[in-house]
Amino acid sequence: MVTTDHQISTQENRWLARVRRFRSREGAYWVMLAPLLVFVVAVAIYPLLFSFRISFFKYRLTDPNQVQTFVGVDNYLRALQDPTVLTALRVTLIYVAGTVIVELLLGLALALLLASEMRTTRFVRSFLLVPMALPPLVVGLVWKSLYNADFGVIPYYLKQMGVSVGRGPLAEPAWAMPAVILIDVWQWTPLLMIIFLAGLKSLPTEPYEAAYADGATRWSRFIHITLPLLKPTILVALLLRTMQSFKVFDTIYATTGGGPGSTTTVLNFHIYTVGMTFFDMGYAASLANVLLVIIAILSALYIMLLERQQL
Amino acid sequence: MYHKFCRLCHSIVIAILVLSIVGCAAPVAAPSPAPAAEAPAPIAAGLEACQGQNLVLASMTDQYVAAFRALIPQFEEASGARLTLDELGYVDLYQKLIADFVGQTANYDLMTVDIVWSGEFGQNQYTLPLDDFMARDEAELQLDDILPVAWTLGEWQGAHVAYPLAGYANVLNYRKDVLEEAGIEPPATQEELLAAAQALTDPDAGFYGMALLGAKGPAVAQDYMVWVQQHGGRILDDEGKPALNTPENAEILKFFGELFNYAPPGSADYWWDQRETAFRSGNVAMMEGWSIARAGYENPEISSVVGKVDIAVAPVKAGLEPKFGFGGWGIGINADSTPQEQECAWQFIKWLTSPEIQKEWLRNDGAPIRRSTMTDPEIVAQYPWMPVLLESFEKGDGDYRPRIPQYSIIQDALGTHVNAFIVGQVTAEEALDAAQKQVEDNWQ
Repeated sequence: MVTTDHQISTQENRWLARVRRFRSREGAYWVMLAPLLVFVVAVAIYPLLFSFRISFFKYRLTDPNQVQTFVGVDNYLRALQDPTVLTALRVTLIYVAGTVIVELLLGLALALLLASEMRTTRFVRSFLLVPMALPPLVVGLVWKSLYNADFGVIPYYLKQMGVSVGRGPLAEPAWAMPAVILIDVWQWTPLLMIIFLAGLKSLPTEPYEAAYADGATRWSRFIHITLPLLKPTILVALLLRTMQSFKVFDTIYATTGGGPGSTTTVLNFHIYTVGMTFFDMGYAASLANVLLVIIAILSALYIMLLERQQL
Repeated sequence: MYHKFCRLCHSIVIAILVLSIVGCAAPVAAPSPAPAAEAPAPIAAGLEACQGQNLVLASMTDQYVAAFRALIPQFEEASGARLTLDELGYVDLYQKLIADFVGQTANYDLMTVDIVWSGEFGQNQYTLPLDDFMARDEAELQLDDILPVAWTLGEWQGAHVAYPLAGYANVLNYRKDVLEEAGIEPPATQEELLAAAQALTDPDAGFYGMALLGAKGPAVAQDYMVWVQQHGGRILDDEGKPALNTPENAEILKFFGELFNYAPPGSADYWWDQRETAFRSGNVAMMEGWSIARAGYENPEISSVVGKVDIAVAPVKAGLEPKFGFGGWGIGINADSTPQEQECAWQFIKWLTSPEIQKEWLRNDGAPIRRSTMTDPEIVAQYPWMPVLLESFEKGDGDYRPRIPQYSIIQDALGTHVNAFIVGQVTAEEALDAAQKQVEDNWQ
């Protein structure tokens, strides 16, 4: 049997018609969305709901009988009275403020410095991205070696300069927090630099031309044009880094383990200890939810600010 | 033409999707090995139960893992089983095992069990009690040859939830050249240890008397508990409840803190590896530590103190009856493995801990459990410090770190607050009060 061009064309038309009919039905969208929805529910929504549920139970993961006893809001009340949690919360806020402020200022400065399209700046920009590509755990271990009071490179040069390093940056209570903040700054400032560079590149040129014609100085152009126009970008960067900084774990785990004492025990590290050392999953879940609420409130504030800027 | 191109694209996309789904659905079974050209080696007597079995062993990456690497191929050849070794760091090993036990996934059939995990593993029935196997095969096991203290590596409330694998004694390593030059005898008491550490410390020359573990977490907690044991202090009271903040323990903590004055400045941040580095690089005169590291000091690839080190039993407080810290690892069988896998796993344990294989185990960086191995003339000739180890084992105390299910809670509290004392944030009494409160708040 010979298949003619006309027959092929008819078959194709029928097939296309079927597709169109399928697309016109609302069910089709659900069918296409289903794989993604299943994925999101499985990896995000279900664990979140499960964590919310077990935060109302006394549930020790290592219990051979896996007994879950309903305790209402006891875990949350315990969290509010737990001195370790309150200390951890204070430490977390110091860490977040330290990292975000320094990274924001440094990132902006670097972006302004490297905004021009020269061969050197392009090279430096790509070179600065290297820390971001490294896993935080590896970064932590490398810096732990660098900071080591007896064998580390940093104390060695500090000693050469006549600076007393005492027990080393990670073991001195006064220096441990700045030392871990420096690690975060080293790794994540390039991210802010990239965000600010993108922001700077998208700024309109007309205001600058007008300011130049009016004889404005570089500083006043920066203060009165660049900064106000860059505000939405700054807020996005602030939002991103605040959320990430609140969730810090790897760097602390690899360097200080929360020490000395509780000097660098951030909330996420404490949650890890409660969950993965004591296996007290109900309490750990309630602490994780407290952290989630704090981050959600801060994010909502930033987003409200962002929307106000765009009105 | 356009439609044909589209159809081709659709076909490719569908093919990729189908392949990826199939790929995710189940691991493709490994192709069965091609028939060997030579006839397989005959199965050794007693190991027939292992023929064709596939086992996975989760091991801590301590020195003895080298012995596993060397001996497992021999076992595979002798038994016809396949035994995969998964080497994991301390924290990773613990968490992966707990996940395996709680999820009843039985990914690991055999696992190395730290002495302090025996209570938790026993109470939660994670590992199989080996008593039935031991009773059945008693004639072959030569149980009397295993040193009594080695049974703490896995004994819990009368059951054996792990079998002795690698016994460690806490011993005093010292630089014999340095002590001789200074005219100091190896310390026999804690008071002599402190005096020697003080006399040998010369910060201007970058040389210190002691190397200690000070880092927050298990490191400082475990080192402090060694000193509690050596000074006759206690972690638990007679009823088994935590008794961390007794006046005796506060005095011991002050003594422990004083030793840090004669340790390298970075000691407050030392984990085991950094303490070892300090000793091996020749910066300190003395170090108390696990005996398994002793052979490494004679390896020029990792040590600059080859031929300069000797060991002695760990000094205790003057007037106390000598008792020495004992630790190490047992080997357990997953309670969720199939009976066939459990039988083969037991055959492996039996084979590995037999007197003949134990000599090989020791020669490949393993640690001893049997008296016959520790007194074997060949072994003693190769490792002249073996008699000191034997003495430490004979008077060993495997319970100076409580082998109870709540051990991790005690360790975490001491790890935080003893460290805070070492770096001068709190007094000894405040540190121990805070640790006691933290333990009581979390006691389950």
